[in-house]
Amino acid sequence: MNEFISGMVAALCLVAGLFFLRFWRKTRDRFFGFFAAAFWLMALHRLVMMLLKNSENEHVLGAYLIRLLSFVLILVAIVDKNRVVPRRKAASRTEIPSR
Amino acid sequence: MMTMANAVFLLCAATSLACAVLLLRGYAHNRVPLLLWSSLCFVGLAVNNMLLVVDLVIIPGRDLLLFRNLSGLLALALLVFGLVWDSE
Repeated sequence: MNEFISGMVAALCLVAGLFFLRFWRKTRDRFFGFFAAAFWLMALHRLVMMLLKNSENEHVLGAYLIRLLSFVLILVAIVDKNRVVPRRKAASRTEIPSR
Repeated sequence: MMTMANAVFLLCAATSLACAVLLLRGYAHNRVPLLLWSSLCFVGLAVNNMLLVVDLVIIPGRDLLLFRNLSGLLALALLVFGLVWDSE
C-alpha cells in the first residue's frame, strides 16, 4: 500500500514538473524552471527511496538530501523572483500563461 | 551518522515550511491562483516532513509511514488539480 501511494506521489511530481516546464517554455521565466527541476527531484527522491527500501541509514540520508535540495531550489526560485521583480517591474510577474 | 540524518530531516521540515509561508505571502500580495495551489501543496509537504521528524526523530519507528505518504499524496494531488484546472 505504501509503495503504491509513494509511486502515485512520484508520478504526480513528474506531472507537476511537466506543467512547470510548459509554463517555463511559454514565459521564459526562470521561476517555473526552478519549480520544474524541484518537482522532478522530488520524484527522483521517491525513486531512490524505493530502490533503497532495505538499505542502511547512510544511503537513505543521501535520498533525503535530494528531497532537501528540491525544497532549497523552491526557496531559490522565490528569492530569485523577488530580486528580479523590482528591476523589471510588472513585466515578469508570475502569471499563468494563457493559451 | 544518525545525528546527521536527523539534521537533514529537520532541514527538510524547515525548508518546506519556509516555502509554504513564502508562497502564501506571495499569494497574499498578488492573487495568482497558481500561487495558492503551490502554497497548499507546500503546506501538505511541510506536514509530510513534520510527520517524518515525529516518526523518525521524536518517536523512532515506522508507524506513521501511511500518514506521511497520504499527506504527500494529498499535497501533490491538490497541486496537479490546480495546475489542470487553472492553466486552461
